[in-house]
Amino acid sequence: MVDSQVLKQAVGDLDEEAVLKMLDEFIATNPNGEEANKVVNACQQGMAIVGDLYEEGEYFVGDLIFAGELLSTAIDKLKPVLGGDHTGNVAKIVLGTVEGDLHDIGKNIFGSMAEAAGFEVVDLGIDVPASAFVEKIKEVKPDIVGMSGVLTLALDAMKGTVDAIKTAGLRDDVKIIIGGNPVTEDACKQIGADAFTTNAAEAVKTCQGWVK
Amino acid sequence: MTDSATLAEEREQLFKDLLSGKTPKRVPVSNPATLEYAIQYYGEDLATAQWDVPSLEPILDKFCQDFPTDTTPIGSLRLPAYYQILGSKAIVMGSGGFMQHPEVMGLLAEEYDDFIAAPYDFIVDTVLPRLYTELDAEPSHKAMTLAKALKAQQDDYGYLGQIRSRINAKHGLTAPMVALTEAPFDFMADFLRSFKGISSDVRRHPDKVVAACEAVLPLMVKKGKLPVPGALGFSFIPLHMAPYMRNKDFEKFYWPTFKKLVEELVAMGQNVQLFVESDWMRYLDYLNELPENTIMRFEYGDPKLVADKLGKKHILSGFYPVTILQTGTKEQCVDKAKELMDILAPTGKYWFQADKSIISTDAEGKVAENLFAVLDYTMNNGSY
Repeated sequence: MVDSQVLKQAVGDLDEEAVLKMLDEFIATNPNGEEANKVVNACQQGMAIVGDLYEEGEYFVGDLIFAGELLSTAIDKLKPVLGGDHTGNVAKIVLGTVEGDLHDIGKNIFGSMAEAAGFEVVDLGIDVPASAFVEKIKEVKPDIVGMSGVLTLALDAMKGTVDAIKTAGLRDDVKIIIGGNPVTEDACKQIGADAFTTNAAEAVKTCQGWVK
Repeated sequence: MTDSATLAEEREQLFKDLLSGKTPKRVPVSNPATLEYAIQYYGEDLATAQWDVPSLEPILDKFCQDFPTDTTPIGSLRLPAYYQILGSKAIVMGSGGFMQHPEVMGLLAEEYDDFIAAPYDFIVDTVLPRLYTELDAEPSHKAMTLAKALKAQQDDYGYLGQIRSRINAKHGLTAPMVALTEAPFDFMADFLRSFKGISSDVRRHPDKVVAACEAVLPLMVKKGKLPVPGALGFSFIPLHMAPYMRNKDFEKFYWPTFKKLVEELVAMGQNVQLFVESDWMRYLDYLNELPENTIMRFEYGDPKLVADKLGKKHILSGFYPVTILQTGTKEQCVDKAKELMDILAPTGKYWFQADKSIISTDAEGKVAENLFAVLDYTMNNGSY
């Protein structure tokens, strides 16, 4: 059996070699779904360490991206032994880069960190029109909507999307968080979002606060 | 001499002084809004107008009339025709018509050794067909596509150049010459390995990343060289990845070849303008090591600290937060400009540019109103 503490720390250290070695050894023991879930859990806790180190200024965006890679490699490895017995999701997030903007790095970092924290993330991709957000909200009934953008034009698109969500009568059903290079507190107010961030780890904490 | 010719001469002198490290007569001002903004501001469709270069002339003319500054407000317009002919994946038009650079990968991790051995050959043979799908073809088709694309590019940019000359002459503007290049590590990230790929590579294949940056350095120097030696102008280097790296990674992977790039360009007698994207505050001591009179346009950070640390040696610019034009009152917008002027003009080497470019209009038209007020203020109050 894997030492959860050691695995958690190795994920936190982004020590890929050590993490993969531990997982290979673990899988070789032919574990059951419950044991595998504990290992997934340790990996997720390791991601929380990564998030903390990011907030402390030890890690930067490049490290978060690598952490996302590491986590998805780890989960892929564990899938065969996980069976259908996956940990319950905390809540649902519909996520996308808003219309007119093709940038997806920030969105992807937030998406993978939110997944690591147990959220179910429905990613609509890039250059997503307001109508596509509205349709997906109707379909999957998320708790949270995340909008991302890098260009200054994204602010207008975010406002347009919030307005469309209001018009569809869905605004009270969801919390909305906007993220990316141009967002500010004032922009957040004008857009009518509930929160704004330029920090994916902080955004995950905000979302966790909403669904407690 | 006509009024506009006198104006043009005065403005050229502002930049001659600025770039040589002398304090100009007043603070030179460039418009944060680009031609993309102007197209939409005057009610034209951005996607369509970029295909029709002659249609840009009356737009640029009105824009210079309505929002006077010292330089031609074109920005780094990417005309779509040749990108489309090439089947570009590296530069793509978004649904609103704005050309942008999505995450792409031209080089696979397992190909580093081949790339390092002969980077130029590898780019031509392998990377270009990946990033420009129409070049992924038989040699005859490839040759024809490349010929068509270059013809389109030369026609479009040639015509844009003529427009620029006519508009500059009419409005007495100056247009320093620009040669775009990238820091070797940024080039590796943006066009070869992707943000995601390079972020893994620095942990998985550190030695290869270092070798690849060294291998592309001569190409980046060549790309940054001004076509006319000694012309008024600069190599423009938009910086990208450093703020997303740990200090020790920056020191190892980013800084050595970036510093060499700037030094080599300066040694050829050119100025260099950096767009210091995102937050570089933890790297100010490094920036201070770059050759004197490097122009640094900052996106974020503490202007006071930057003025103290770098103001004596370098030419400072940027910081003005364009989102305030959309969210603030006219008074707040002008106050912000005044605040920056008070901090940065005393360095004697300040150029008013904003933190980002404005590329789209807002529904309420607030940006235009506020922009006019800010430019009016900076053009008339830019004393050192």
